[in-house]
Amino acid sequence: MSESEFDVVIVGGGSTGTAVARDCALRGLKTLLLERDDIASATVGTCAGMISSGLKYRGEPDIMKMSSTEVVHLNRIARHIIMKNPIVVPLLDLNDVASDGEYIEAYSEHAEERDVPEMMFITPEATREIEPMIHPNIIAGVYYEEFFIDPFRLCLLQALDARKHGAKIKTYCEVIGFNIVRNEVQEVIFYNRITGTTEKVSAKIVVNAAGPWAHKIARICGAELDLRLNKGAHVILDRRVVNVGITSRAIDGRWIYLFPHENTTLLGTTALDTWEDPDTLVASFDEIEYLLKSIEIVIPSIREARIIRTMAGVRPLVPDWKVPEDKVTRGYQVVDHNNGLISFTGGKLVMCRHMAEAVTDLVCSKLGMHAICTTHKNPLPGNESDVDIESLSVEFGVAMHALERMRARRGTEILKILELTKDHPEWKTTICTCEPIIEAEMRYAIREEFPQTLNDLRRRLRLGTGPCQGTFCTYKAASILAEELDLEGDDFLVDILDFRAERWKGIRPSMRGEQLAQEELAQGMYSCVGNLDQSDVDYDLKPWEEGG
Amino acid sequence: MDTECDLLVIGGGMAGLVAGSIASMEGVSTIILRKGQSATAYSSGAVDIIGYLPGTSEPFSSPTEGLAVIAGVYPLHPYSIVGYNEDVETENIVSEIIRRAQDAITWLKINLENTITPLIGTFDSNIYPITVLGTTKPTCLIQKTMHSGTLQECEDSTLLFAGIRGYADFNPSIAAKTYLEDRIAIGKPPRKVGRCVIQITPFGKPFNLSSIEIARHLDHEKSIEEIAKQLKKQVDQLGASHVAIPPVLGLRNAVANKKILEELIEADVFELLGFPPSVPGLRLQIALEEIYRRSGGKLLVGHEAISYSKTGNKLNYVTARAPRRELRINAKAFILASGKFIGGGLSGDLSGMHESVFGLMTITGAYLLARDIIPSRMTNRVAISPEGQPVYSCGLSVDPFFRPVREDGVEWASNLFAAGSILAGYDYSTEKSGLGVAATSGYSAARSAIDFIKEVN
Repeated sequence: MSESEFDVVIVGGGSTGTAVARDCALRGLKTLLLERDDIASATVGTCAGMISSGLKYRGEPDIMKMSSTEVVHLNRIARHIIMKNPIVVPLLDLNDVASDGEYIEAYSEHAEERDVPEMMFITPEATREIEPMIHPNIIAGVYYEEFFIDPFRLCLLQALDARKHGAKIKTYCEVIGFNIVRNEVQEVIFYNRITGTTEKVSAKIVVNAAGPWAHKIARICGAELDLRLNKGAHVILDRRVVNVGITSRAIDGRWIYLFPHENTTLLGTTALDTWEDPDTLVASFDEIEYLLKSIEIVIPSIREARIIRTMAGVRPLVPDWKVPEDKVTRGYQVVDHNNGLISFTGGKLVMCRHMAEAVTDLVCSKLGMHAICTTHKNPLPGNESDVDIESLSVEFGVAMHALERMRARRGTEILKILELTKDHPEWKTTICTCEPIIEAEMRYAIREEFPQTLNDLRRRLRLGTGPCQGTFCTYKAASILAEELDLEGDDFLVDILDFRAERWKGIRPSMRGEQLAQEELAQGMYSCVGNLDQSDVDYDLKPWEEGG
Repeated sequence: MDTECDLLVIGGGMAGLVAGSIASMEGVSTIILRKGQSATAYSSGAVDIIGYLPGTSEPFSSPTEGLAVIAGVYPLHPYSIVGYNEDVETENIVSEIIRRAQDAITWLKINLENTITPLIGTFDSNIYPITVLGTTKPTCLIQKTMHSGTLQECEDSTLLFAGIRGYADFNPSIAAKTYLEDRIAIGKPPRKVGRCVIQITPFGKPFNLSSIEIARHLDHEKSIEEIAKQLKKQVDQLGASHVAIPPVLGLRNAVANKKILEELIEADVFELLGFPPSVPGLRLQIALEEIYRRSGGKLLVGHEAISYSKTGNKLNYVTARAPRRELRINAKAFILASGKFIGGGLSGDLSGMHESVFGLMTITGAYLLARDIIPSRMTNRVAISPEGQPVYSCGLSVDPFFRPVREDGVEWASNLFAAGSILAGYDYSTEKSGLGVAATSGYSAARSAIDFIKEVN
C-alpha cells in the first residue's frame, strides 16, 4: 500500500479519536488520524479530566460497571498521568442525606476493584477538619474517592503510541469531503492548514470521532447523525483553594463540583443545550454567577479567591430529547452508516478506550481481520516504571517541585529530558514559573510531540495555564518555539498574538478583582512595550473574536 | 500616632514622586506614602509622552504634534485638562497644553541628569527604540544607556544582538530576525544584524538568571570587563558597529558600564526595552526617590492609606497603616497618585469600579459613571489591538486644578488633588503615554497643591 492508502482513517484527535488510532495501530491496521486543529483542542481540552466511576449515572448500572473497569485499565496503562481525587460532599439538610443513600450503594459496589474505600458518611467535625472552608452549619459529610487523568497528555500519549505503532497522525488537517462510489466511501479529502493545500487519501473505513462536529462530518459523507450538543463551562481559580474536591447540588439541584486540579481549582460545570458554533463559545456572565452562587452555599468564602479565567466546551451527547442533560445516558453509541463511515455519539472521557475497542472490533470484522485488543494491557509511553524525583533533583540540580510537575506529565520520559541538560545546562531555566516548566522539557516537546503553535505547546506542557495566564512566559516560550522551528520574525509575533488571544478568550468573561491588575501588566508588556497592538503581521481573527 | 505636614502624597511612583519633589523643592513639607512596589518600577524605563491617537495606527512624529491632536480630539484627556482652564484664552489652549507637558518633562530631564539614570530625547521628535522582541515602539525619552546612537541612520551600521546564556527574558536569535525583517520592509538601516550569546554567572550557574541579579553583578567593579572580553570577539567577527544587549547593564553603574564597554569593544552599546522584572524601571524608581529625598521630603515605604477624616469641603487627615503601626497624618493638601489596578488605586468587581482610599467617583474612558459597571463589560473581544481594553481608561474625573470631582462636577474636597494613572480618559498601553501622563499630571497637581497651600498660609 502506498503513502496515501489506508485501512482506516479517523476523523478527530480528541480522546476517542486518538484512542481509536492507537487501537487500530496496535492491531496492525494501516491507520491515519486527521485532526483539523491540534490533539485535544476541543471537547476533551475543556473538561476537568475526571475519570469518573459514573456515580452521577447510578440509574445505569452497566455504565457504572464499565466506568469502573475502565478506571482500572487506565490506572494500569497510564498511572503516571493519573492523580487521586478525594471528594467531600457537605450536606446542609436532611433532604440531601435522604437522596444520597442510593449513591453510596451504587458507588461502593465497585470500590474494591478501583482500590478505593467504600463511600462513607462522616461527621460535620471530620468534614470541616478535611476542608475548613466548608459551611459551619453542615449536618454531615460524605467522603469518596475518584481519579483525575491529564486529558491533554492522555490524548497525546495515545496519538504518540499510535504513531509508534505505525499510524500517521496529521494535525491541522480538516476533512472537507469524501469520494463516494456506489454508496461506499473511497477517499477522504482534507485541507492541510499548514501547507495550504487540499490532499486526499483512500480509506477502506472512516471512523468519525469528530465530537461536536460529528453530525457535520456525517452530512458531508451523505449520512445523517443526530447529536445533542450541550455546553459546559468552568470557572478557574488561581490556586488549589480547597484541600479536596467538593461536590454539591447547584441552585437548580444539578450536581456541580469544585476540584483542586493541577495547580489551580476548577469550578464546574454548567449544562446548556447549544446550537452555536463550538469554536465561538465562551462562558457567559450567567454561567459564571450560576457556578459561584451554587458553590457559595457550601463554601461561603469562595468569592475571595481570584478567578483567573473561564473555559467552555461542548459535550456531544447521545440524542435523548425531552429530558434534562443529566438524565441523558452517559453511554455511547456506535452508528454504522453502512457506507464505510462509522460514527460515535455520546460517551465520557473515562470510556474512550472502551469506545475505541468497540469500534475497532467492528472495523476488523468489516475488513475480515482477526486481531485482539491490547490497549488495556500495554502501557502508554512514560508508564514503564517509577521515577525517583528526589535523587534526580540532587543529580541534576533542578528543584523537586519542578521535577514533580514534570513527572506528572512525563513519567519515565523525565530521564530523557534531564539528559538534555548535561550538554545544555542553560536549559534548566524555568520558562513558565506558574507550572513550572523548564526549557529542556519545552525543547523536548517541540522536537518529539509535533506542536505547530504556542497553543499546541500549552496542551502538551500546561504552559501559561497558571495564575499569570502566560503573562510572563508567552514571549519566552514563543522565542524557543521560533528557534526550534526556525520561524520568521512575523510568525514569532503571530504566535504571541495567537496565544494572548486564546488566553484572553477565557480571561475576559470573568475579568474582576485582582485579575484586572494581572491583565494591566499583560497589556503593559505586549501592547505598551512590545507595541504588538500596532503590529502589521498577518494575524487572522479567531472565531470568537469576530462579529460585533 | 500623629504627624503633620503641608502636603501628603499617596503613592510613590512617577506621579507621586514628581509631585512630592516639586512641592518639597519649593519648601513645602511633604510626606509620600508608598504601599508596595510602584508600577513605575515595572515599566520599561522609557518615558512615553504620546505615541498614538487612540484607535489609530499612524504614530505621531513628536509629542508636540501628538499633544496638539489630543488637545483637539480629547479635551478631557489628562494632558488636555490644563488647557481648558477658564484663565486660558481659546487660541492659547493648545500651546498651554504643550507648554505644561514640556515644562514637566524638562523638569524631569534636568532633575534626572545627575542621577543613576539620566534621560535623552527631545520634545520635537518621537524615537523608536528596539524592544527585547525585536519590535520598535515610539517613545520620547529613553535612559542614556538605551541610546543606540547612529544605528538607524548610518547606512553601513551593523547590529549585534547579544543574549545571555540562561537568561530567558531575551532571545537574541528571534529578536535579530524580527528586527531585520522590519528594517528590510521599511528599507532603512541597519541592513545587517547578527547575534551571539555571552555568559555571565553571578552565582556560578548558567541558568535561571534574572535581570536584577545580572544588573547587581555588573554593578561590581571589574565584572563589566569580563563581558567586554566575550563581546569583543563577537563584535570583531561580525564587524558590528552597534551592540544591543538586554536591559541589565547595572542598577547603579549602568552609565559608566556602557562607557567602559564601548571603549573596550569599540562599538556603540545600548540596552533594549524590556519587560518586568525591569532593571531600567527600577533605576528610574530609585533615581526619582533620590531626587525626592534630596529635596528634603519624607518617604514612608510600606504604608497604606486606609481611612480619612473630612470636614465640609476639607480633607483633614489620612490614616496610614504599616505592618507595626498606624499613623494619622494631618496635612493642608493631599495628592492621590495611587495608580490604577497594579498600584491598587482602583479596583473593580461585580459592584462596579471603585477608588480605593476615598471612594471617589469613577468614570469610564467615555466619561460615563463607572460606579455600577462590571469590569468585564468594559472589554473588547480582541486581546491586543489599537482599541485596547476600555476598562484601562477608567479612573477619576478631575477639574482643571486636578481635583477629583463629584457627580455634580464640583470638587470632592478643596484640598485633594489627583495625578498619574488613577486619572480617567486615557489608556497608556495603546497611546504609549504612561510615564508622560504620570510626570505631567504629577507636576500639575503639585503646582495646584502648592498654590492652595500658599493661599491658606
